[in-house]
Amino acid sequence: MVDTDNFTKVAEVGDIPEGEGEGYDVNGIEIAVFNTGDDYYAISNRCSHQRAPLCKAGDEKINAEDTWTGERGGLNAEACTVSCPWHLWEWDLETGEHEASGQRIGTFDCVVDGDDILVRI
Amino acid sequence: MESSVKRLDSDAEVPPEAFDDYIVDLDFHVNPLEDELLEYVDDERAYDKLTTEFGATPVMGKWDAAYGIKEGQEGLFTQGRAKYAEDVEEACEPLAIDEPIVNPGINNLNLQHHPVLKNAVCQAANDYMLDHFADEGMYTSMMIPKWDPDYAVAEIERVANENNIVAAYSWFDPKVPWGNERFDQVFEALVENDMPLLLHGSLAYWPQHSYIGDDMLTWTEVLGFDWPIHAMVTVVNMIMRGVFDKYPDLDVVIQEGGHWWVPFLRYRMDEFYEMHPEDVQITPRKMESGDRYLEKAPSEYLRENIYLCTQPFALPRNAGDAENLLDLSMAEDMFIYSSDWPHQTLDPATWFYTSRAFDDNTREQILNGNATEILDI
Ligand code: FES
Repeated sequence: MVDTDNFTKVAEVGDIPEGEGEGYDVNGIEIAVFNTGDDYYAISNRCSHQRAPLCKAGDEKINAEDTWTGERGGLNAEACTVSCPWHLWEWDLETGEHEASGQRIGTFDCVVDGDDILVRI
Repeated sequence: MESSVKRLDSDAEVPPEAFDDYIVDLDFHVNPLEDELLEYVDDERAYDKLTTEFGATPVMGKWDAAYGIKEGQEGLFTQGRAKYAEDVEEACEPLAIDEPIVNPGINNLNLQHHPVLKNAVCQAANDYMLDHFADEGMYTSMMIPKWDPDYAVAEIERVANENNIVAAYSWFDPKVPWGNERFDQVFEALVENDMPLLLHGSLAYWPQHSYIGDDMLTWTEVLGFDWPIHAMVTVVNMIMRGVFDKYPDLDVVIQEGGHWWVPFLRYRMDEFYEMHPEDVQITPRKMESGDRYLEKAPSEYLRENIYLCTQPFALPRNAGDAENLLDLSMAEDMFIYSSDWPHQTLDPATWFYTSRAFDDNTREQILNGNATEILDI
């Protein structure tokens, strides 16, 4: 049983497909929530490099079939990272760290309670 | 207190204020599929050879620099691949770009060996762009071959008057710089047609065919500094060799050649020239005109004839420093916003809204003022 005091419901299980992320505004704070299949992770939605919205990571490219990778950045469930849709900086979903620059963005506790996905801001 | 939770479902990727501004993007790349491009080759003999297994550009650019990119060669298509006008419109919408100036960025074309086949690709690229972009109402820069000034003039005469063709696109590189007199006929045609010359970095001359380039092993050196070195040399060469005294109405835009080097050039050119100006009279254009000196201080040509695309902007984080640097770099007169879509170096127009370095006028000049001054749009 999870102690869900101070958590806010952002979505329901099934709203965020496995391997993808969704963006939410919680009391004015933008977060992106990713579903790795095993877990959900919540991270600041704004990349500290140039403020790209991380919730767009993994979106299909224009004419994806004529490119090699098909998607703009995206979730790496195994490494538990997300790469930014603009310049592919890789963000650790647990620590919020970008290893090469040492920069860090906010991460938020994220739990599943029954059918609800909750985030502590 | 009740929490408010909203799903972020807007497509916008840049700050909301960007959608209130008029944003012109002077470096937006289109990447036609090769077979669709080659259908536009007029000459049957050239078409026959270009469609062999070697393809349109058989000599590959040496792309060691891609080792620095997470997805390697895919850095060329980080955002996707635009083939037609509707693709460009779709890409511009979330980035608040109102007026993309598209180009057929076949940037390794000038590395190819065969002049006839290169010209055929150039002709095909221009016709492809006319059909799929200019005729669809999208402002387009036509491609002109640096390797063949006669053919460049012929292409300008053939294509420049078509609707929505607003600039000519070519390259700066470590080969013959654009101050050379062989390009005078091109300048003449450009001025006559009131079109700026856009000079982009060329994949063709990435670290190869130059000793120093061959020892550059990292992305930071190659894209960060090899291109800007050639851009600077090109600009100084054009100024000191009197191009702009002969063609005062010629506007030149450097794309992806860097921009923070302006203060260096500005003060160094003036200092050197003022100390030792006596060799200017024996440069070919001055020999012909009989003039002894340049008509203006070298830095004045920078301000009046040269424009620099801003991508990647690399703005200092400290707003005071950034403001000073913008000022020293004559950003208000020289900088033009560019996104470089769809490449790894994409630069959405976020800086203008996240830094306090820009006053309204500087922001507007970079986002549209300088571009609309030199483009007929
Ligand atoms: S904005 Fe995220 S990597 Fe540049």
